[in-house]
Amino acid sequence: MEQPVLELRDISKNFGMTRALAHMSISLFPGEVHAVVGENGAGKSTMIKIMTGIYPPSSGALQVDGTTVTISGPHMAREKGIVAIYQEPMVFPDLDVAENIFISSTREGLIQNPARLRHKARQLLARVGISLDVERIASGLTLAEQQAVEIARALSQDVRVLIMDEPTASLSAHEAAQLRRIATKLAEDGVSVVYISHRLEEVFDIAHRVTVIRDGEHISTRPVSEVTSDGMISEMVGREFESLFEKSPSVARPEVILEVKDLAVDEIFSGVSFDLHYGEVLCMAGLVGARRTDIGLALFGIHPAGSGTVSFKGKPLVITSAAQAMKAGIAYVSEDRRKFGLAMPMPIRENITLATLGEFLSRWGLVKRKKEVEVAETFKKRLNIRTPDIEMAVGMLSGGNQQKVMLAKWLNMKPDLLIFDEPTRGVDVGAKAEVHDLIREFVAAGGAAIVISSDLPEVLAMGDRILVMREGRQMGILTHEEATQENIMALATGQTSTREVA
Amino acid sequence: MNAPRSTSPHASKSLFAKLRSWEAFLTFVLILVILVNSTLIPQYFTISNQINLFQLSIEKVIVALVMTFVIINAEIDLSVGSIMGLAACLFGWLFQNGVSAEMAIVIVMIAGGLAGALNGYFIAFVGLPSLVVTLATLIGFRGLARVLVEDRGITDFPDWFDALGQQGLVGPIPFSFFAFIVLFTIAFIILHRSAFGRLTYTIGNNREVAEFAGVNTAAVKMKIFVASGLVAAFAGLLYAARVGAVRGDVALGFELDIITLVLLGGVSIFGGSGTMVGTLLALLIVLNLRNGMALMNVTGHIQTGVIGVLLIVSVVLPRLDVTRIFKSRNPRGTRQ
Repeated sequence: MEQPVLELRDISKNFGMTRALAHMSISLFPGEVHAVVGENGAGKSTMIKIMTGIYPPSSGALQVDGTTVTISGPHMAREKGIVAIYQEPMVFPDLDVAENIFISSTREGLIQNPARLRHKARQLLARVGISLDVERIASGLTLAEQQAVEIARALSQDVRVLIMDEPTASLSAHEAAQLRRIATKLAEDGVSVVYISHRLEEVFDIAHRVTVIRDGEHISTRPVSEVTSDGMISEMVGREFESLFEKSPSVARPEVILEVKDLAVDEIFSGVSFDLHYGEVLCMAGLVGARRTDIGLALFGIHPAGSGTVSFKGKPLVITSAAQAMKAGIAYVSEDRRKFGLAMPMPIRENITLATLGEFLSRWGLVKRKKEVEVAETFKKRLNIRTPDIEMAVGMLSGGNQQKVMLAKWLNMKPDLLIFDEPTRGVDVGAKAEVHDLIREFVAAGGAAIVISSDLPEVLAMGDRILVMREGRQMGILTHEEATQENIMALATGQTSTREVA
Repeated sequence: MNAPRSTSPHASKSLFAKLRSWEAFLTFVLILVILVNSTLIPQYFTISNQINLFQLSIEKVIVALVMTFVIINAEIDLSVGSIMGLAACLFGWLFQNGVSAEMAIVIVMIAGGLAGALNGYFIAFVGLPSLVVTLATLIGFRGLARVLVEDRGITDFPDWFDALGQQGLVGPIPFSFFAFIVLFTIAFIILHRSAFGRLTYTIGNNREVAEFAGVNTAAVKMKIFVASGLVAAFAGLLYAARVGAVRGDVALGFELDIITLVLLGGVSIFGGSGTMVGTLLALLIVLNLRNGMALMNVTGHIQTGVIGVLLIVSVVLPRLDVTRIFKSRNPRGTRQ
């Protein structure tokens, strides 16, 4: 076989007493898509950071084109053609697309020629098959478009190894498919693509070889034709795996908790009507830009609805603020942990009690820390939050555990209606199953749940009914029995339109 | 960013970790300053000098307590010096125009609250940056103070008023010292033990997260700025009592000294972290350092220079901590 572009040989990385990587070896060949899978905390991020020179390895060697090298920083990695892009792209919101693509380019010289930049930007975008106005300001781009900008940026630097860290975690199915096509095309052009994803069906779709890592160790590397989904998952979690994503029987009761009629927010969405029963899980499916999050924000009072009626627990309710929605018994778990969900530098305990701080006050308005600790410890056990200490900053936890802290915050409010917005985005398989169990537990105890999700297997596994949105319009509601990935996508992409209400 | 509050709990037991905490570092510096002062200066450890060193800066020190809240909340209040000046001048002007001193104090405190509310309104409800709003009111309030008093000084306040600022209340210990103890205790309890303090940190870290948890973040910000105005007005009155006279330039430029104290105390200029104890240690260091230098006849300019160097060190030092950069997982939680 030909020579690998990049090879890790027996790399270990320790942080103090913690071993993040142990004797990791992996070879990346030009022209292959190499998927790396593993649970959160398995060491994928550390491996990327070693490849891109952010961390020096504690021991072992890095080889580029067969020669041992020391990559002393991201800058040097870039010179060697090793670039990583992440699920949350780095764009400068006030610059336009072309400027963003060439932001770190030194080849353009001191004085940049805007017309030439734009021309070159268009060429790069065309190479990955994306049509995007290069003069648009980046703050208005969707996540998918921002990622396209990042890929084009990598291409502008003659990338040889492109590491994609969960690039599709935040994308709709359609956008994700487009991104996978780009990855495949880059590999055909001779780039070595490292593809990290929690979506196993993607791995089967595009990868040539798959490496499984667990607890910082290399478990296996095989051609994709020799692996099965179940085999891969049991290697990842280290135990036998029974099918995780099967729909459990509905526990919906006949009584209606929420009735929404013709809900609309000006120029964002309109004509949203549905009802929700106690014990029911209603999933909202759709592509990015379908405006599902906006419905959640309207029901939670962050961006109050302009027209339409909501009746909650049998009474009409006009929701104008989050505090009011919470008082009525509605909670919303945001899709964006960093921006809206958690105060990252603050302790786990303080994040869990934030929404219910009023319940932890003494007569004098002082916070009862002992009670806080009790509640936080209870949730740590109940939700299996993996942390040595609830006083640790929540930002130090893995994505799945951060998600659980956020859920704990809202479960402690004991809401009647919980709106979950992308509850398992960027969360590993094990934690995902735990989150699903939590949602089921919550509705079994009599609550009602709205689950906004771009993950179709999740929608099919969780939803008693599925409401499909497209560009701010409600396209239809499918019962679990009717729903298939195909007919949900057909509605979401506007190929068919049903309006029956189950 | 450099959040002393969220030091890793794994390490919190080791001596090394304790030394790394900012408060520990400040304590060390404070002890050093006191040791050097008491070795070199015979009259340093006398009661009269200790009282003197404290009293001379009492106004700034008191305002620094509220400034700690303001900066942890990820805001800034540049107008405190001007509010202090306005309060002192308004007091003088009212007194000169026949209002009793007692009544004038009440009016001045109300004016201070209103001045803070004006800042708070534009920052919390209109959503303008506090840097801009309080820069504008820094100029505005100072202008008002100068209009009231013009260039002449106002003096001859009642004896009890001057005595409050200049003489001991209990033995040699002046009123302002007790005022500081009470205010520090209140500020400590509110910041570290109350729900309001918790929300101050949360909003400073991430206002959106607090909004999404149903917190009325604008109300919290408003209260902090009103408190800032009230305390600045109180400090302005203390100044008038201590000096026994007011002029248009009372407390000119004090805001920068006050902000310096707070930043030196380990409060992050980006908000979200810092402690009341850090502020206390910082102000003790600055007071003792200045006093020591003054007793050794170091000129005021050099004193200011030394404080400046200290501030730069305080900003740079936490960043030089290499172990923090390579600590497992990204402490800012940006990427996973």
